[in-house]
Amino acid sequence: MTRQRSSNKKRGNRLGFWFFRAALRAFGLSGAYGLLYPVCLYYLLFDRPAVASSMAYIRRRFKTYNFLRRVYGVYTLFVNQGKNLIDRHYAVSGLGEFDVEFKGYDEIQKLLSASPKGLILLTAHVGNWQVTMTALKKLEKTVYLLMSPEENVAVKKALALDSDRERIKIISLNNFLGGVIEIMKVINEGDLVSIMGDRSDGYSSEEVYFLSEKAAFPYGAFSIAAAAQCPVVVLLSAKISAKKYLVDASHVIIPRYSSRNKKHEDIRGWVQEFARIMEDYTAQYPLQWFVFRDIWKGKNLNNANVIKP
Amino acid sequence: MAQDLAQIKKDLKEMLVTGLSLEDIKPEDIKDDEMLFGDGLGLDSLDAVEIVVLLQRNFGLEVKDMENRKEIFTSIDTLAKYVFENRKKAS
Repeated sequence: MTRQRSSNKKRGNRLGFWFFRAALRAFGLSGAYGLLYPVCLYYLLFDRPAVASSMAYIRRRFKTYNFLRRVYGVYTLFVNQGKNLIDRHYAVSGLGEFDVEFKGYDEIQKLLSASPKGLILLTAHVGNWQVTMTALKKLEKTVYLLMSPEENVAVKKALALDSDRERIKIISLNNFLGGVIEIMKVINEGDLVSIMGDRSDGYSSEEVYFLSEKAAFPYGAFSIAAAAQCPVVVLLSAKISAKKYLVDASHVIIPRYSSRNKKHEDIRGWVQEFARIMEDYTAQYPLQWFVFRDIWKGKNLNNANVIKP
Repeated sequence: MAQDLAQIKKDLKEMLVTGLSLEDIKPEDIKDDEMLFGDGLGLDSLDAVEIVVLLQRNFGLEVKDMENRKEIFTSIDTLAKYVFENRKKAS
């Protein structure tokens, strides 16, 4: 998918990560969580881009909150994101496990057995997607993650991907034409492709209503699914208790163009449906939204509506 | 062979204009050596998905054979050459 690159500031450093890992081993999950509170206070005071993008969400999600409550909401988002990172390391390094409730597993199995083709998993930066990816191993299908090379290294590390033995593989966005030909190939072979559907970051996007205002969401997943004639399964996760995650794959969108001249309207409808599902998610799990982008901001809408009618 | 190639190019141009709903472009407006993506015809990666499907549907080509062959998608010339060679293999 064509795009303009966004600057994605990396936060934390090796010493910081070592510190948290050491705390996790010495004091367990709650001990490591405890360290997050002063660290996140530092980010709240000094990381203006992260605060601004989080505030954009909090302001729209909690319309009646006063300024102080909104700031506290941003702080809670930071703390929850930190807990996610700690949980991820806890699970991947084998220190312990989380229970995972997989909602929609049977639906995915039905879709896969009904057709030789695979499907697209449309996911978002909510909950803990590393836990989600680990849960997908249960499907016994190869899952390809579409991502940029810079994310590639971090994700390989986060998921402890070990070369060809793993059933989670990566398709690089830097490949020819954003990897779409590889995507088509693996879908035809019955495999799954995971695409992030929440950050437009200069990708071809569509403006739809989200939390009562127009926001830009990328539509590549729907365009590919419509061409490949495969379903899109919305895949979200949420932490529902201290040691339990919910992975929800129960929302399925079947993108099929109603006619050649209505592609634009069809795509907008599917993106709006995805936004509606995301809105329901934020109603239920408001403080697990880790998109960290102001998706309502005008500059993100530069490439919106570029699809041919 | 020259006649076959010319026909394939004509078919490809019609396929692109119709299949991709290219407004204000007629098949004869597309030059054989014009870049399909970026500058040139201005197609993007999402159009590429549809081109792959159109090639499968209209010429019986396999997507797995197109992987790692980015030169195929340079222009009508390269696309036609690929279709000509691979359609022949299939038949």
